[in-house]
Amino acid sequence: MSYLEIKNLQKRYTAKGPLIVDNMNLSIEKGEFIVFLGPSGCGKTTTIRMISGLEEISGGDITVDGESIVNKLPRERGVSMIFQSYAVWPHMTVYDNIAYPLKLQKLPKDEIKKRVQAAAEATEIQGLLKRYPAQMSGGQRQRVAVSRAIVVEPRLFLMDEPLSNLDAKLRVSMRTELKRIHTKQGSTSIFVTHDQSEAMSMADRIVVMYKGKIEQIGTPMEVYQDSATRFVAEFIGTPPTNFFDASIVREGQEIYARGEGFDYKVPSSLHSALAGYAGKEIDMGIRPEYIDILPDQRKQDGYFCDARIDFVEPQGSHSILITEIGANKNVKIHTVDHMDIKQGTKVSCHVKNGMVMFFDKESSKRIK
Amino acid sequence: MHKNMKKATPYLLLFPIFIYYAVFWLAPVASGIKEVFVGMDGDFTLTENLKLMFRSDLFSESVLNTAAFAAISVVLQYVIALVLALLLSRKFIGSRFLMFISMIPMAITPTATAILWKTGLVKDGWINSLLMGLHIIDNPIVFMNAEGFQAILLLIVIDTWTVTPSVMIILIAGLQGLQKELKEAAYTFGANKWQILKDITLPILRPSITTSVIMRMIAAVQVWSIAVMVLGYSKAPFLVERIAFYVDAIPGVDTSTKLAYTYSFLTTIVVLLATVIYLRVSGRNKIAAGGEDE
Amino acid sequence: MMDRLNAVQKTVFAIILAGMVMLVAIPLLFFITVSFSNSTEMTQFPKNIFPSGEVTVYVEPKDDGKYELFYDYQDGSGYTSIITTNNASKLEKHFARQYAVVMDGEEILEEFSRTRTEGAREFTFRKDMFYNFKQFFKIVPNAGVALKNSIIVSLYTILISLSLGSLAGYAIARYQFKGREQINVGLLIVRMFPTVGISIPMAVMLIKMGLYDTMIGLAFLYSIPNIALTSWITSSIFIGINKELEEASYVFGANSIQTFLKITLPMAFPAMAASSMYSFLTAWNDTISALILTNENQTLALVVYKAIGTTSSGIQYAAAGSIVLIIPALVFTFIIRKYIGQMWGGVEL
Repeated sequence: MSYLEIKNLQKRYTAKGPLIVDNMNLSIEKGEFIVFLGPSGCGKTTTIRMISGLEEISGGDITVDGESIVNKLPRERGVSMIFQSYAVWPHMTVYDNIAYPLKLQKLPKDEIKKRVQAAAEATEIQGLLKRYPAQMSGGQRQRVAVSRAIVVEPRLFLMDEPLSNLDAKLRVSMRTELKRIHTKQGSTSIFVTHDQSEAMSMADRIVVMYKGKIEQIGTPMEVYQDSATRFVAEFIGTPPTNFFDASIVREGQEIYARGEGFDYKVPSSLHSALAGYAGKEIDMGIRPEYIDILPDQRKQDGYFCDARIDFVEPQGSHSILITEIGANKNVKIHTVDHMDIKQGTKVSCHVKNGMVMFFDKESSKRIK
Repeated sequence: MHKNMKKATPYLLLFPIFIYYAVFWLAPVASGIKEVFVGMDGDFTLTENLKLMFRSDLFSESVLNTAAFAAISVVLQYVIALVLALLLSRKFIGSRFLMFISMIPMAITPTATAILWKTGLVKDGWINSLLMGLHIIDNPIVFMNAEGFQAILLLIVIDTWTVTPSVMIILIAGLQGLQKELKEAAYTFGANKWQILKDITLPILRPSITTSVIMRMIAAVQVWSIAVMVLGYSKAPFLVERIAFYVDAIPGVDTSTKLAYTYSFLTTIVVLLATVIYLRVSGRNKIAAGGEDE
Repeated sequence: MMDRLNAVQKTVFAIILAGMVMLVAIPLLFFITVSFSNSTEMTQFPKNIFPSGEVTVYVEPKDDGKYELFYDYQDGSGYTSIITTNNASKLEKHFARQYAVVMDGEEILEEFSRTRTEGAREFTFRKDMFYNFKQFFKIVPNAGVALKNSIIVSLYTILISLSLGSLAGYAIARYQFKGREQINVGLLIVRMFPTVGISIPMAVMLIKMGLYDTMIGLAFLYSIPNIALTSWITSSIFIGINKELEEASYVFGANSIQTFLKITLPMAFPAMAASSMYSFLTAWNDTISALILTNENQTLALVVYKAIGTTSSGIQYAAAGSIVLIIPALVFTFIIRKYIGQMWGGVEL
């Protein structure tokens, strides 16, 4: 039995309304850092709010340490939460903000003082304790919210898009900070975000959600390289995966994925998976960094198509090339080897190491 | 644009109101103050007119009544409005209708409010009709005979009817405008409903409530028309009611003009004191609560 | 989960809501009924909450060609004899004054003559619903002029406050200059300053200027708080208007006056409309200053105020007059309701 178990969890706001969270099942181990990732409206925030006790559940169960928490008040659940807007109380000093949860627990004064001090030190705001939130920057308020959340020593540490209101630079440094605090505290954490790079950099495991359902649960590398659905492949990665409409054609021993402007010989490792798809349409996805280009237009193993580079976007460490392949006018290629390529160059494109993903058109599920 | 010209622009734009206020505000205020310190014989006097006012009929009553009216009505209105606002602050069907209805009493011209209540308070008025129709009383009550503190209470009830619904709307707006996560944070950290109200909601709203209370007080100090129209002159004396009395009821006598001046002066001092308090409170709130500078 | 209500709480909630609405609505309803009531209904007790549109009398034919008129006061004693007459003009006056039924006396007699053949019976007549309103303007001297005066003084006040106030508001919003803070505080003090306090010296001054008992003189007084208010409202709006929009206009070759007229002013229009309505309400609702600053040329609010003192017997006419007074005030208050919260210290509605 895992530490936190979510079983058949459901949520609808009105009796006949749509399912916002649709039969969700999830097991989380003690001390894990889990990220709920998905676009807005996918049910990730609703789920975390149901775990925290801010939202009633419509069906299913949530257990912590084998004990159901769904009928408990938030304070009995041992959760603490960081909100998107920080929710730092404007009429209290930083000290009072951090101390308030402890005051509610009626702890003795000197213990409160000790723990507030420790929590403030953990986020390096011990010098700001007498200030009011209005006199502080967004980043500092964020730290107050973190201190307030860790001071109660929660069983579950919930974070609802805590970094989305910070500016880009601060956001990246706060990621590391939160990870550091998590490592130190070791409390089981759930972090909600719509930012895939945030999810990738922080999570032990990512739960990708879409329209109230879990699309995939896996480590950052798993969801990236081994995406379970077309949605995951599309949502994760910058620039996103390139998609092509292809039809599967069997010619003798070989299987080809053909479409407008390309013809790709499928590696034999995928033959058995594609066996039933001969003559059918599928979605073919290739990540930008798995397209290799050859300016001399040679055709090698993994050849896929010819193309003309329309635009070059240098990024310093690499360049993003934009080209048109068939109906897809916005194919992106991530290149390190040909960073200086000129706009208008004609090239041949290859799939690197057979890193291609096929998806069923109807179920959107990965064919493998 | 030329640099000097640009520097002068704001002063040019403000010039008309400087002139306006110099002529139509400062000059009358100055001559009003002068009148208070010039005696009946035209010579300077520090206290003659003030003494005249202190000794005039109903002076202490008018001061006490004004103070009692302002204090009791404002406290009463805010307590009732706050309770109602807390009960009704959730979103519900018909909340717009409630808003609509609640705005009406405050929107009615004070003169009309006075007539509305007079038609109710007369012996065969609608209040007695209603109370007897509901079998709450058996015989009509003669409200118009109310005197002294009873009369003040009657006026407080009328003012409460007029003002409370609007105060409630203001408070509801404040409660609904409060960021939901501030309350949710307290809830997740273990606060119950009462603790959230006491520790989070009310303290956060306190600055805007305080400033609006002072604004209401300033208005309440200037009560007169309901008192005169419902009960008549001298039945429930107030500061401004005295001014109207000396101007309207016994005009032309030298002492009445002096008394009107002196009462105006006193009212002005009271209101300015309230304004100073308002400025200090709202200034302090800006530092303490701030939050707007994001 | 925090705010879910159970059935008991829902019921309590509904009761409080209904009580609240009734506390406001019932006095208003009675008041409206009073303004539509005829003299006879005014003497009746208890009063009805809804206005009636008809009057029913009972008529008995008499031998001498006269008719005896009965009326039921609804006090339990049934039909009471009122008058016995066959005088057309007497009947006509009686019907108008007592029942607000405006009808030719001969016609009434003609109706009544049916009792000669059909025997004693009830007659129901339609009330002239606007009788009290007409009477108000007829009985109260200068009520029509006062209505016109109220409109004029309101317009003057709007004009003065808006023109001077928005200039100041623009200066405060757009320029950093010495004394800006002091001007802000000064404007607040002027705004809070009780107009009663300066009404009497103002009257003396206006007499000297020859403006006593004129609407423009009264408007000068009403504008004092409203110029400050207008500059305060408009400055907060001008601050909100992105300076880049103005700069874009300069870039395309407009001068500052063109920019102000074509870009800034239209964007500030809602705020200016709102502050105009405040000016309107000040001028429209005031009685005390009008009492001090006018003599012959009274405003409607003042006339209504005076009417209640003189015509205690005809309070329904004063009620009708105050309905006329209320309607514009009500309409304008609802138009600016969004801004009311700000007036009260910053909470937004």
